[in-house]
Parts: sequence; C-alpha cells; structure tokens
Amino acid sequence: MSRTRLVIASSYAAIVTITFVTIITIWAELAAPLKDWLKIFSGHHWTSKSVLSVLVYAVAAAVLYKVFPEPNDGRLRQALFLLLWSAVLGVIALTVFYTGHHFEFFS
Amino acid sequence: MDLIAILQSKPVLIGLHLGLAIIGIDAFLWLFGKLRGHGSQSQKSHFVPATIGAASFVLSWIIGGYYYVVYYGAQVKPAIKSGLAPWAHNIVMETKEHIFLFIIPLAMTVVFITLLNKENMERLKLRRLAGYLSLTIVILGLLIGAFGFIISAAARWGAAN
Repeated sequence: MSRTRLVIASSYAAIVTITFVTIITIWAELAAPLKDWLKIFSGHHWTSKSVLSVLVYAVAAAVLYKVFPEPNDGRLRQALFLLLWSAVLGVIALTVFYTGHHFEFFS
Repeated sequence: MDLIAILQSKPVLIGLHLGLAIIGIDAFLWLFGKLRGHGSQSQKSHFVPATIGAASFVLSWIIGGYYYVVYYGAQVKPAIKSGLAPWAHNIVMETKEHIFLFIIPLAMTVVFITLLNKENMERLKLRRLAGYLSLTIVILGLLIGAFGFIISAAARWGAAN
C-alpha cells in the first residue's frame, strides 16, 4: 500500500465529505422533503448525515486511492492546503447559514 | 440501577462526550507540538498522538450522538427554545452538531500523514501543513466545546425561567 497515495486520497475524500455535509445540511433546511427523507433513513436527520458522511468518506477515499497516481510533492501539499481551507469555509458557511436562518434572512 | 443504565444516563454521557473530546484536543495539540519541535521525530512519536486523538473523537462523536438523539431533542431543546435564548439552539447547536462531522475525516487524514516515515515527511515538506491541520482540529474542538458551554448555559437559563 502506498502511504502517499493514501494521504492524498484521504485529503480529497475529506474535502468531498466536508462539502457533502455542508451542502446536504443547508439543502435539508431549505427543502422539507429532503429533511423528511433523512429522518426516515435512520430515524434522525443527524444520524443519517453522520452515516452518510462516513460512507462518502470511505467510498471516496477507496475510489480516489485507485484513481490517483503516485503524487508529487506539490500535489500532496495542495490537497492538504485545500482540505484546511475547506474545513474553514465549511464552518463559516454553516455558521452564516444558521445565523441567517434564525433571523429569517432567507424567507 | 445497573452499570448500563448509569452509562446511559445524561450526566455520564455528557461527561464522557466532553472528556473524550478534551483527550482528542490534547492529543492533536501534543502532535502539533511534536511537529513544531526539535525533539523526537520518529514516525511512532507522531502516529501515537494522532491515533489517540482520532479514536477519542470517534468515541466522543458516538457517545455525544447517542445523547443528542435520545435526550437532547426531547428534553433539552424544548427548554432552550422556550427560554430567553432560542438562538442557542437555532444557531449554536445546529452549527455545532454539523461541524463535528468535519473532525473525523480531518483526523483520519492526519493519522494517515503520520504513517509516513521521517524521510518522506521531509522530502514532501509536509511537516508544517500537518501541524496546521492538527491545529485546525484543536481549534475546531475548542470551538465545539465553547458552543457546548453556551448550549448548556441556555438550557439551564431556559429551565430556570
């Protein structure tokens, strides 16, 4: 097993997972049928998002590990840099969204 | 009351959720110090704190999730929503419960970085970025902890009014 490919696959899988959680969370707040489906899927919308986030991360990491060639220095650092910023932007997006949602900026 | 019932009680669940998250934060802070320092730089000295941190956050997530699903919605959320600070649920709790989901993939990626040996870490120039990722996990953990404090305070405030 190539450990550098594992790192780059995990980095991009984590970016995909953070993006997925951010989008599905905001989307479910704005679209009742999606939130209802998430509740039905596991009994609670948050549990469903948790289970799906694990599945998204695991599947994305496995697929990307197969797809990516051995990464060079710059590509690996770029992936980690993007991961760092995706986490920061995800936190900002959810905080801003729920603040706006509470003060009914979106209705 | 048997042991399982005690472990499933609200104060014990919150204590375990918080305690394990603190261990996770401390472990990634420990790793950050290792990555910044000039002491032992063996692969094992990086792998051990990263693994302890990731495992602690996974357990904290499962235990906190059980508390959230079983108790929070039925008992805590109504007290906050009917109190003087409903925003504590609408903004703080909603944000907290979802950004927690960011920590696990971040922590797993750091664990995989620590599988690289010293030569690869140096050749790929990953030490500084790995340190920043560890610090990001620490900051997210502290932010989630601060959010948890606000939510607990709002629940007590709600229950008192």
